[in-house]
Amino acid sequence: MSALLSCTGLSMHFGGLTALDSLDLEVREGELLGLVGPNGSGKTTLFNVVTGIYRPSAGKIFLAGEDITAKPPQEVYRRGIARTFQRSRLCLDLSIFDNIMIGNHKTLQLGFIHNIIRRKAFRAEYESCMEKAAALLRALNPDLLDRVMKPVGDLNMMDRRRVEICRALVSRPRLLFLDEPSAGMTHDETRQLMDEIISMDTGGQKLSLVLIEHEMEVIRRITTRCVVLNFGRKLCEGDYESVIADPQVQEAYLGRELE
Amino acid sequence: MRRMAVFFSGPAGCVFLALIILGWSNFFLRAEEQFPILVYMLLVVFLGFVANLLHLDDSFRASVAGHERLWDLCLIIVMAALIWLFREDHYNLFLLGSIMAYSIAVLGLNVQLGYAGVINFSCASFFGIGSYTAALLMTRAGIPPLPGLVAGGVVAALIGCVLLLPVLRTSGHYAALVTMAFALLLRVFLDVSEWFGGPQGITVQPMSLFGLDFSRNIVFGETELSFYLKYDAAFLLLLCLAFSLVRRVERSWIGLALDAVRSDETASACFGVNIMRWKITAFTLGNFLSGTAGAMYAMMLAYISPANFTFADSLLFLSILLLGGIGNIRGVLLATVFVVLIPEKFQVIQEYRYLIYSALVLLMIVFRPMGLLPRRPRVYSGGRA
Repeated sequence: MSALLSCTGLSMHFGGLTALDSLDLEVREGELLGLVGPNGSGKTTLFNVVTGIYRPSAGKIFLAGEDITAKPPQEVYRRGIARTFQRSRLCLDLSIFDNIMIGNHKTLQLGFIHNIIRRKAFRAEYESCMEKAAALLRALNPDLLDRVMKPVGDLNMMDRRRVEICRALVSRPRLLFLDEPSAGMTHDETRQLMDEIISMDTGGQKLSLVLIEHEMEVIRRITTRCVVLNFGRKLCEGDYESVIADPQVQEAYLGRELE
Repeated sequence: MRRMAVFFSGPAGCVFLALIILGWSNFFLRAEEQFPILVYMLLVVFLGFVANLLHLDDSFRASVAGHERLWDLCLIIVMAALIWLFREDHYNLFLLGSIMAYSIAVLGLNVQLGYAGVINFSCASFFGIGSYTAALLMTRAGIPPLPGLVAGGVVAALIGCVLLLPVLRTSGHYAALVTMAFALLLRVFLDVSEWFGGPQGITVQPMSLFGLDFSRNIVFGETELSFYLKYDAAFLLLLCLAFSLVRRVERSWIGLALDAVRSDETASACFGVNIMRWKITAFTLGNFLSGTAGAMYAMMLAYISPANFTFADSLLFLSILLLGGIGNIRGVLLATVFVVLIPEKFQVIQEYRYLIYSALVLLMIVFRPMGLLPRRPRVYSGGRA
């Protein structure tokens, strides 16, 4: 398998704090990669650096061989990386459809003439977008279809996550970043949601996914490979079994036994 | 009871509501004694209360939402009927014209603050820039009124673009301060500049279209109709255009992008929304509307001075937006009617009107934070605008 995303020597300093310390990381095509590590180990920072919210202090990021280091978030999204946020960042006063369409921004026609004057053409585009959104919602929770024009703020946590995932998937990304999708949900809900994501039909295209998760059960069940971060450095990588057996990982999470 | 609720949620609701608005406005505008004026104002509160008690407000809401084109038509007819009813009355026609001018400006502010969340404490300044541009171009450069009108909007939009440079480099309170500083600077500049007429202001030539002079009364044999009739007709046309434009903006991907910028810049950027582009679009479009309204308003006033476009007026525009419901363009129209009409008619409060506005805005924020008519979730096709 070839590398879809590769980061080399990636560092991120915030003043005196080193959030990422010359990290090398690879995501392969079609892989479900779990990203784990204690709080503050740099997982979310990695997402923010790759998606262009932060400009890395050092290092390079390549997406399918193309240098995307320090590109603005809009560019990174256009090249095919979509994400969700740890703290759900939906626009609560906008409808489900609106929120999903924000994720569809790169395919929308944004010209003034098209939007304001040629309303017929706009309506046709709107219909096809609605179908796209409906297809995603149908896969995750058909109940949401009836409420597609209602504000997201009325939904429960799990449905909000679903909408967020639809928003990330609607643009057919090559690589999806999920930042702690289980936050604020119960075990059962998380399991159900992950099953839904995995079984989603992404239109024949194989989805590559990076998942940040504290829920080790989720990591075990769905990821094919894990990377453990600690203090912005890669502690170890491998499949789930080998990673949790690693003494370094146990030490990072549980501390060292007193001699 | 239920049958009545069903009846009024059909097209009948729109017609009934329009008739009430027409009747009330007619009597309110004709009233001159302070006591009946007070009674009419209390009547609005009372009617609202009764409608709420009978659950008719939901019916009316459904009626308006379900018969959008009929409702638009009703409102246009109500306005046209009012203009016709007061055809010989300078003062009331001038009031109606002012309401429409302010509405257009607040529609512009709504695009900026209501959709894109770009704060603008200098709305009245852009209104004034439109006025002065039209006035100066017509008196000093001899440009005909119609191009003068368009130029008013365009120059306001262009000066807005210059102001955008510092506004976009700052955010939140700092951006607000930049626009406040601009409002104060412009006022001082107009006051000291001889060429712009100084504190005394300048006269503005009237609108004239195809040889039709807007400043002359219309004479039909015995009857003489107020010249304001022509301005009101022109304002009604402009308001319809502005309303339709803003509504189409809202019901399009442009409106979606503007809303996305307002609610979460970082998340939107992660989905390819170009923050700068949309802030610039919203600010420019809003100022264009304010400037155009200002240009037409100046022609109607025939005389403008810096005192017409103060910081207090900017605050007034903002409070109209807050009162009506940020993002709801119908709410904007409703609030403009109240805010312009009440102090004009209910003279007792004239001196205290800013006090009353601020109290009203505070009460709104506490008890009805989304305004009189809160914004509804976007629909993309609710009948053609």
